[in-house]
Amino acid sequence: MEPLLRSARGRRLLPLGPALLVLAAALAGRDLTGAPAVLLALGLAAAVFWAVSWVAEQAARSRLEEARLEEELLQSQKMAAIGQLSSGIAHEINTPLAVIGQEAELGLMELGAPALQGLAGLDGARDNLRQIALQVERCREITHKLLSLSRKMEAIVQDTDVNALTEDMVRLVEREARLKDIVLERNYAGQLPPVATDPALLRQVILNLLNNANQAVGRDGRVLVSTDMPTRDRVRISVEDSGPGISPENMGKLFTPFFTTKPPGQGTGLGLSMCMTIMQRLGGVIQASSPPGRGARFEILLPLRKNGQTT
Amino acid sequence: MPTPPAKVLVVDDEERFGANMVKILEANGIKARHAKDGEEALAEAGRKGYDVILLDMKMPGLSGKDVLKKLRQAKNPAKVVVLTGHASVDDAVELINMGAYDYLLKPCQTEQLVKMISLAYEQRLIEERELG
Repeated sequence: MEPLLRSARGRRLLPLGPALLVLAAALAGRDLTGAPAVLLALGLAAAVFWAVSWVAEQAARSRLEEARLEEELLQSQKMAAIGQLSSGIAHEINTPLAVIGQEAELGLMELGAPALQGLAGLDGARDNLRQIALQVERCREITHKLLSLSRKMEAIVQDTDVNALTEDMVRLVEREARLKDIVLERNYAGQLPPVATDPALLRQVILNLLNNANQAVGRDGRVLVSTDMPTRDRVRISVEDSGPGISPENMGKLFTPFFTTKPPGQGTGLGLSMCMTIMQRLGGVIQASSPPGRGARFEILLPLRKNGQTT
Repeated sequence: MPTPPAKVLVVDDEERFGANMVKILEANGIKARHAKDGEEALAEAGRKGYDVILLDMKMPGLSGKDVLKKLRQAKNPAKVVVLTGHASVDDAVELINMGAYDYLLKPCQTEQLVKMISLAYEQRLIEERELG
């Protein structure tokens, strides 16, 4: 039987159940004939029907819950397996890929020798080598992204100094930023309580945001990294850049896998969707804003303790 | 007096990669030499003064981490740039905390690598002047 309470009409009738029970109980205590007896019978029948439906609904719900948990477990096992496989492949491919890139570069260098200038037929070879170098670059993007996906996604929670962790990541990208004359500014909150979170996962998110910001601003840009506590139980890390910002039509698609505004071969569109997955896992939030003419701002909000954790 | 070219030791068990890297660096005005494993790298680094060591992580025998540890123990002044095909953000943080100057993932662009070597070299010269 399809439980009545699973239909919309059944749900509307649900609050009537206890009322009918009370009515039936009240009438049952009297010696009744005629209309009250009919009412009693109807009330009892409705109460019994309600009780049966309620039990059936509970059973269906627990079956659904079980199926959902199973599905979730399967999904996380699948993700872990894909992660391990892809990182293994990426590791193995990176070195031969590097050698292919070197060979193309050296080939171009050799074809650049003064004695070979102006010789007919070599321009085609040069173009071939440049294409090889270009395609190696595309593969490089992919293997590097796969490596960053590879880490097991289960959170290993520990007390984390968010300022120190953020600073570690800023220092990691700062050297490269300096090569492009990008200024990285810090504005950390003076005192932050330790946050119970997975530092390795959090690092990936911050690194991703910093790399995006650096790419967005280009040469001579500015990136501001700050930390603070907007509420008593949450820490916020934000990364703001002086780049062109995000157009309103792209705002809704930012966290969608494989969505990218970067030219082909320069972005896989996996970075922000991975950040979103990680933040959900950490019980936090990631959000973006882009006031017109003021670049892009990404902020992540982390609870001091994830729901259900005790101190 | 013009600054002499940087002396770089490329440590990588992949022969072709190491040999190509030496050619590419030399073409960019950097003096380079290849060591094919950790033992050879330590012997070579102890014998000659290198400014920058490009260090692979996954090698038979001594791993890149072992080499980095031993270089730091021996107070070798060379700046170590880790150049590896497999690593995570966690590895990068650990290696930098162990005293590596910086960290690049293979394959890397020559332009980026040359810039990083010149920054590391600059740092090495500043330290040399400060320490006398």
